[in-house]
Amino acid sequence: MRVLPRLGLFAALGLFILLPLAQTFLLSFMSTLPRDGMEVGQFTLMNYATIWQTPALTASIGNSAIYVTLNVALCIAVALPAAYALARYEFAGDRHFLFLLLAFRATPPVVLSLPIFILFSRFGLVNSPLGIALVHCLFNLPIAIWILETFIAAVPKELDETAFIDGHTLPSFFVRHLIPAIAPGIGVAAFFCFMFSWVEVVFARILTVTAGKPITMAINALFTFRTDVGLVMAMTVVSLLPGLVMIWFVRNHIARGFALRS
Amino acid sequence: MHRTKPYSNAAWFLMLPAALLMAVVGVVPLVAVFNYSLHDIFSLQDVLWVGPEWYHAIITSPRFHASLGRSLMFSAVVLSVQVPLGLAVALALRRTGRAAVLGLMLVALPLVVPWNLIGGMWLGLVNPETGLVGQALVALGIGFDWKFNAAHTWILLVTMDTWHWLGLVVILSYAGLSSIPPEQYRAAAIDGASRLAVFRFIELPRIAPALGVVLLLRFVDSFMIYTEAFGINAGGPDMATHFLAIDLGEEIKSFNYGSAAARSMVYFGIVLTVIWSFVRINAAREARGA
Repeated sequence: MRVLPRLGLFAALGLFILLPLAQTFLLSFMSTLPRDGMEVGQFTLMNYATIWQTPALTASIGNSAIYVTLNVALCIAVALPAAYALARYEFAGDRHFLFLLLAFRATPPVVLSLPIFILFSRFGLVNSPLGIALVHCLFNLPIAIWILETFIAAVPKELDETAFIDGHTLPSFFVRHLIPAIAPGIGVAAFFCFMFSWVEVVFARILTVTAGKPITMAINALFTFRTDVGLVMAMTVVSLLPGLVMIWFVRNHIARGFALRS
Repeated sequence: MHRTKPYSNAAWFLMLPAALLMAVVGVVPLVAVFNYSLHDIFSLQDVLWVGPEWYHAIITSPRFHASLGRSLMFSAVVLSVQVPLGLAVALALRRTGRAAVLGLMLVALPLVVPWNLIGGMWLGLVNPETGLVGQALVALGIGFDWKFNAAHTWILLVTMDTWHWLGLVVILSYAGLSSIPPEQYRAAAIDGASRLAVFRFIELPRIAPALGVVLLLRFVDSFMIYTEAFGINAGGPDMATHFLAIDLGEEIKSFNYGSAAARSMVYFGIVLTVIWSFVRINAAREARGA
């Protein structure tokens, strides 16, 4: 067994991944601007205290959480029946639909940002978390459909057949049998939707003109003539926490559900 | 392997919500962009038909060619670094057993960092006064000038992008490897197959679809890199990292909507061509029964 080279590889990988995070973490506990009674570089909890006392920053955390949650719920609810249809049936245009999903997943947000802004401002969806939650479906719905389709295809067809013989309607089959059977898949799909929605910047910026700023924009606003790097880093650390929790929940299933087809 | 599924167009009822949603957030805006791209837009009320003029201007401009070249180059470097590396990590994790979960969690960490913060994190890291890597480089006497040395900006960008996206490559490759039945490995061990032969004849065919998806996703995302690249050096030094999406961003910022829309359609065309070839290659492989 060549255990040693493998250990070396993992040590190097761990260092590579953790170093930027460690740097961020360290700076977040440091005073980085000259202040009265505190030296630059001194250990402090002040940056986190500042976040807690600044309404714009705390509100941005809430804003992000709201639209990401909405987006995940919307994506799963809409993707579930579609993934079921794709996994269980052939129908006219099914391959074209998958191609369309792939195409929209691959479209850079900048390309569609202007018409989306005009369209959404007409329907009063600017500055509203619902607007961002809707537009993030552009890239998250394809991902959710792919992942759920893989998990549903792995469920034996007998599950459906017995349930329908037992007199379940389609909705009650979904709730009672299918969803419990693919719970890990829903978790993985939710993780990827959460992740891509949480980290997205282009749509989140153009759709929040005056209100409802997400956490990413709140951090952008901290960059000024004299940027308080410590505060920026503390805010970055806060922005990582929900993602860490999500990774922990899906850790055992994260690498399943990608037998993508097209 | 391939089970045939019943044919039923009633399944479209289940597709309806997804199709409607994609129409609203995808198809309608795309049609609108196409419409803008044929006009000169002074304001939303003051619009002049120009036909394919924007397209002509973009496709013949040396600036577009230069940006396209840089974007293709960036994608090529990113793919040739990240795919082999991610595959190697996934193969190593596969042989680690239960601890593999820890490795997957580790490489997933950068995926949850908001994109506009990644540039700042890396600039903090290579800062010669306060950064861990920056201080180490100074101590070793290595000059690293990401601000004015184009090669160094590129190194920083590729390293940062690898840090950001390696996890996706590892996760997808690992998912492909997980689908290999253990019997195949046992059979190979009985036959005395070499490590290389196991990879070539058992692992590679099984992960080919997953690798295809990895290549595709990494290509389209690196080809259109915007937020992170802008955060590092805003396209500099001297345009050395001025990629396609940065061109587009500048045009939108200066309100050249007609031209920006035409540019968007050109990019969409490129991306669509790549996806279409990918789908064709995939279909051909499936037809061969691989």
